[in-house]
Amino acid sequence: MPLYGFLQGDTLGLLILAEEGDTVEALARKLQDAASLRVAGRNQIRVVHNEKTIDPAITVAQAGLQPLDRFDVISG
Amino acid sequence: MLNRDEWLPLARKLDWDYSYVREEEVFPEVISGRPWLPHSEWKDWEESFKTSYREYVDNQYEKDMAVYAVRDAVGRIENVQKLAAPWMNSLKVHAAALPLAEFTGVIGNLRGARFGRDSAWRTMATFGALDEYRHTQIPLLLFHELVKFDSQFDWAHKFYHTNNWFAIAARHFFDELTVGQNAIEFHIATNFILETGFTNLQFVGLASLARESNDHMFERMVTSIQTDEARHAQIGHPVLETVMKHDPEYVQYLVDKWFWRNWRLFSILTGFSIDYLTALDQRPYSFREFMEEWIIDQFLRTLEEFGLQKPWYWDTVMDELDIYHHMIYASAYSYRATLWFNFVIPSPAERKWLRQKYPKYWDEMDAVWEQVSERWRTVGPGAANEFAVHGTVLPTFCDLCQMPLSAGTPRKNSARVLVHEGRKCIFCSEPCQWIFLREPERYANHKGLVKRVLSGEAPSQLPNLLTEYFRLTPDTWGKDVHSGDYEWLGPRKTSAA
Repeated sequence: MPLYGFLQGDTLGLLILAEEGDTVEALARKLQDAASLRVAGRNQIRVVHNEKTIDPAITVAQAGLQPLDRFDVISG
Repeated sequence: MLNRDEWLPLARKLDWDYSYVREEEVFPEVISGRPWLPHSEWKDWEESFKTSYREYVDNQYEKDMAVYAVRDAVGRIENVQKLAAPWMNSLKVHAAALPLAEFTGVIGNLRGARFGRDSAWRTMATFGALDEYRHTQIPLLLFHELVKFDSQFDWAHKFYHTNNWFAIAARHFFDELTVGQNAIEFHIATNFILETGFTNLQFVGLASLARESNDHMFERMVTSIQTDEARHAQIGHPVLETVMKHDPEYVQYLVDKWFWRNWRLFSILTGFSIDYLTALDQRPYSFREFMEEWIIDQFLRTLEEFGLQKPWYWDTVMDELDIYHHMIYASAYSYRATLWFNFVIPSPAERKWLRQKYPKYWDEMDAVWEQVSERWRTVGPGAANEFAVHGTVLPTFCDLCQMPLSAGTPRKNSARVLVHEGRKCIFCSEPCQWIFLREPERYANHKGLVKRVLSGEAPSQLPNLLTEYFRLTPDTWGKDVHSGDYEWLGPRKTSAA
């Protein structure tokens, strides 16, 4: 599933291909890896979708992410 | 025999009443533009240059000779080879972006030359078309000479014929501005906003930047082009003045829409050139200072003069002056192989200068450059390591301006998703979304790069995308000018260290 990922500290959005069964935490890691050239990795992060923080343990499908949705990975 | 002052007004103002057709059929609204008004409303259309064709040709001949003289004196390959490497890449950016964009201006002006509503307007638009043809041919001629020295200059002609992401964005802009535009919107958007608002003054600034960089050929070329712009840009004012009397809200909409669309393209071209691709000791000003001194003040004065308001998103533009081109440059550096020119990392001295000039957000940008530098320190310099210091996944683009989703700040990107008639769109900013929603029928069917990749129209793997779709080659795709070999980076980090 293609998603628009925005990592806090980065200068652009990236297209992240997620599996419906990926956990939200794994999704965040994919984005961090993809942006690692520009943004140093952080451990304390949150994933935000539709202005709500989502549980890192649930899957992308359970979180209700749809193709071409925006998600943000932010510090804290 | 009539003297000039007797025959010229007659030749310029040669309108008559139609007896076999209706005026609406000669000048249909769909191509002449709205509001549709009878000629009686346009008959006082006037501009101050009042040039005859003979005077035009004599004048242009002199200007062409002056450009050729400078080319013969300082435009040889050996002269260009002496230019600083970053500036050479500013030259490549303009070499690609300028000539064929000017050619679309020929088409727009020819539409005015046929469908403009007064004969003085049509006469001036004919000269405008000839000007733009000249602005196509001169850079193509000058840059063609340089192809044998550096194949990236081949993009002077090739750029708009590719599906390179920047070419998709530039075509999206110029197709709407010039190629597919009615005469009224073309002349307001091109002459009043692009030329009076941006390029007329930008070319003065660009010429001074070229002079500082000892690039006298480019300096002469843009100066010569600017003198044409100053003349044909005058078409926009009387067109706008007449439309203002009948539909001021429409004029305000055109100003709001086109200032934003111009700003998106202009801030990248000029922002890169001033703040990154000119040697530090040759920068006469920062991009922000340039905008404040040359563009913003005079544009606001012109708006006031015509009884227009600042665009509703003005505060966003003022904020973006501090950050937008920086975000795009860092993004483009990390995807440099997707472009046809080379990049440099700002040195510590340049970053200090940038911090001074852009205190509001520079901390956030500096962290990005520190991270990129750290990657070069880790992998070590060398052309073989270019792709170890390069993005790997597909970047994303705005469904209106087609530029990367690099607006807002690193802390908070301003991209926004919208579902329009069941289709999901993403925009870099509120103004881009606003423009889309004002005329969705104009934009909704355009497929951006991400959707082309997802539909299988464009390859999804970066190497294939570069070579098969963007038409780049290992010789022409963008690289780090120094292959990561910057003295200030210090020694390569070893795993033991």
